[in-house]
Amino acid sequence: MLQVLLTGLSIGAIYGLIGMAYAVVFYVTRVINFATGQLLMASIMIISGLTLQHWAVGPAIVLSLLASTAGGVVIYFLAVRPVLRFNRMSFAWLVSTLGVGIVMETLAAIIWGTSSLSFPQLLNGRDVGLLGGHLTWQQILTIGVAVVIVAAFEVVHRRTLFGKLGTAISSDPEMATAVGANVTMFAVQAFAFGGLLAGIAGVLVGPISFANAYLGDTYGIYGFIALMIGGTERPAAAMGGGFILGILSTLASTYINPEASDWFPFVVVLAVLLLTPKGIFTSGGALRRRMVAGVQRVSSRTTL
Amino acid sequence: MNVATGEPLRARPLKAFSLAAVPGRGKSAATVVGLAAYVAGTVAIAHSSSYHQGLLLVAAVYSILALSLDLVAGATGLYSLGHAGLFALGAYGATILNTHYGWNIFLTLPVCVVGVALVGVVIGALSLRVSGLYFAITTLIFTIIVNVVVSDLSITGGYQGLPSPDFPNFPKALSGLGTALVWGVSGALLLTVVVIWSIRSSALYPALLAIRGSEPFASSVGVRTALTRVGVFSLSAALAGLAGWTFCFLGFITPGQFDSTAAVNILVMVILGGMNTRTGPIFGAVFISLFPVVVNMNPLWQEVLFGAVFIFVIVLFPEGFVGLLARGWRRLVATRRLGQAGTAPRPGLAPPAVTPAAPDGALVRVGSGLQVRDANLLAPLARELPAREVPAREVPARGNGAAEATPALEALAISFNYVGGAKALNNVTFVVRRGTVHGLIGPNGSGKSTLVNLLSGELACQAGTIKLHGRRIERLAAWQRADLGMMRTFQTAVMVPELTPRQNVALGLFSRFDRIGPRALVWPMLPSARRDSRRMAAVAELSLAEVGLGAAWVRARLADVPHGVEQLTQLAVACAPKPSVLILDEPLAGLSTGEVEKVSQLVRDLKVKDVTVIVVEHQTRFIFDVCDEVTVLAAGELVTTGTAAQVRADDRVREVYLGQ
Repeated sequence: MLQVLLTGLSIGAIYGLIGMAYAVVFYVTRVINFATGQLLMASIMIISGLTLQHWAVGPAIVLSLLASTAGGVVIYFLAVRPVLRFNRMSFAWLVSTLGVGIVMETLAAIIWGTSSLSFPQLLNGRDVGLLGGHLTWQQILTIGVAVVIVAAFEVVHRRTLFGKLGTAISSDPEMATAVGANVTMFAVQAFAFGGLLAGIAGVLVGPISFANAYLGDTYGIYGFIALMIGGTERPAAAMGGGFILGILSTLASTYINPEASDWFPFVVVLAVLLLTPKGIFTSGGALRRRMVAGVQRVSSRTTL
Repeated sequence: MNVATGEPLRARPLKAFSLAAVPGRGKSAATVVGLAAYVAGTVAIAHSSSYHQGLLLVAAVYSILALSLDLVAGATGLYSLGHAGLFALGAYGATILNTHYGWNIFLTLPVCVVGVALVGVVIGALSLRVSGLYFAITTLIFTIIVNVVVSDLSITGGYQGLPSPDFPNFPKALSGLGTALVWGVSGALLLTVVVIWSIRSSALYPALLAIRGSEPFASSVGVRTALTRVGVFSLSAALAGLAGWTFCFLGFITPGQFDSTAAVNILVMVILGGMNTRTGPIFGAVFISLFPVVVNMNPLWQEVLFGAVFIFVIVLFPEGFVGLLARGWRRLVATRRLGQAGTAPRPGLAPPAVTPAAPDGALVRVGSGLQVRDANLLAPLARELPAREVPAREVPARGNGAAEATPALEALAISFNYVGGAKALNNVTFVVRRGTVHGLIGPNGSGKSTLVNLLSGELACQAGTIKLHGRRIERLAAWQRADLGMMRTFQTAVMVPELTPRQNVALGLFSRFDRIGPRALVWPMLPSARRDSRRMAAVAELSLAEVGLGAAWVRARLADVPHGVEQLTQLAVACAPKPSVLILDEPLAGLSTGEVEKVSQLVRDLKVKDVTVIVVEHQTRFIFDVCDEVTVLAAGELVTTGTAAQVRADDRVREVYLGQ
């Protein structure tokens, strides 16, 4: 059981990072960047391709993270900004970011082929016993990185002027412009940060996923679901959504059957959405309200 | 009529959203020609090679699917990714019933369509709970679950899928018609187009747009928003089921055709072709389904090109193919009209504004210039207000002192608090006598808007009773209260920006016409519906003229008109159905002095017509000028109610509100 939880946490951290990559972009621009999964794929493919060309792992990782960060910015200028300038509320970005995803994925298949390539093992080979279960150092690293990123993000978001401006832009870009925020600059940074997060998730998941041009789709969907579980009101909540999704799918494939992770998490998410239509971690969420009301009811009954 | 030029008004329906879908002679001729061309096309395809048939039939089936999605996504704002799942249910349902249980293939059609429509009812009901992106993801999960189920079951053939059932051929006598399947698919597409285009030209369509963008407005004019959403979604689902039924004859069906990528692709078809347009979804469906076949090159590079087309079409033409065409067309028309008209001002550029304050003269002038060709159009509406049908014995005639004593609207001891907030209203009693103008004032945060929302049914009060003409209404929904003859305006105008003022006002008449929803399916074909459309347009125009808005504004989109015009349009919306009780929430906000004068006059006119008016307003001069009685609220408590003079003299009022 503990083993399942730990494994679930480590895969959930990946989903959570991707979910945060979506969330940061959505928070600032109200756009879902559907090429996020492909940014993750790009970072994996770059590392794999370069190490196969006998590069050292370190420089390859650095280069891949730079590439995915830059990729986010390129997507913003190529596919999102022109559409938003026309109509901020239209859903046209769905088509253009999907288009970017298709192009990236297929170009990767052209460059690196359609079959899976090897990926450097990094810390994957080394096991460590932990509280009766055991994890690889790569999994521990994954959880650690995820926690550090969420903590750092929350500190910047809440404690700095930069973070507060981000909140302002999120709730009302016109008003934020009026107080001097450069909305475009924030959007660029959000896309860059989203790309970086996707790239980091790629580095972390690469040793177990191997390098395939089409793995962006799968991780993209799981990251998106993580975002939805957590809710879009607070970017860091996506990480919580990722953990929940990771644990649920590990539970399903362990205790139901190996294919159950295809549907079980979704059924749970459906239930979650119906109970709390805006995600579990939203402030004043319906679930929390209901729970508080329930506790009050119970306590009033007991006092009577 | 055009106030500026004195040119008589031509009752010309708008291109894109023709409310009055008046098929004049030209239009019905066009319909006949279009139909003939469609049949000829079907004949041609039915005789073409099976390769071409295969291509075009797939495109036609996806057109049905995309049209059905646009009905909910484009018009109603429900971005469904569940249509791939619904599509799968139709396709698998028909195949399994036929090959496994041996049902006749035409017997499976109603079963599939009705069955999928019922599933649509459930998903549509979810939309009442989750909205926007969350609705999209909820429906995506539905598709994923359907996909997993059909991949895992043995009756659905697992990942291998199922072979298609045979579509029966024409009997010998009719074999000249060619392939029967082509006629089947063609008929299904035609049915879909007829239904969806009918809805788009019906009086239901503006209501859908209102549900999408401003639900409180929709329910305030009497639209049953929840029922309409569920109904429209289930209709859309039924059409998706129809698409699935036709799809199963086109070849093997496999789970891969109905996965999450397919779900997104259907939405892409709609957006790429042009969301919320008549033909856009068809263009998008044809493009996406034919592109991989027609563009013949290395499959990988073809895929790259496919993605690149997505990006460039949307970046260059964010409204999609049809949006591009429409913009070009509008520009062409505008240039031509400029060239022709010369002096005639274009609405939106040189507004002759609101008719200046010459109330009586303007009204008469506009009234006489209104050249309504058919005077019957302005005859009393089909459904008169129930409140007016109260026998004369119970409601004495106006002018009698007793009439004024009868309360039109009573709110007795009502309380309300927002979730987690303080009490917004505490035990407030508010009685409005019939045929009077009743002011409601108080500092910001005193609970005026909350009270208005409770009266109109936007919010439900937690304690107390509300009576309209003696009938308890506190448990009725907003649309039911509109049905009973209570109309309201909103503090910030929340109408449908894509529509013209006239179309918005026509939407205000929604509660006055029967069974708009069911009739919308065949709207242009029903003489009664066409007559209703014309009546709505005529009454709307008259109502706009009554608030002083001339024809110059009739054709501009509401999004393009100045704030004052928007406010007056809102007033016209609420007045058009001849309400018995009218609630105006800050009707003067942002109006010019002349417009304020106009509204004052209008309120007095309403009083003469025995309409009970409740006005929330901050301009005390206006309040004390037009109101018979005034109620003052402060911090959710009733301060006092009395005549204007009494209230003005009241020390507490001076203290809490007038600041003296």
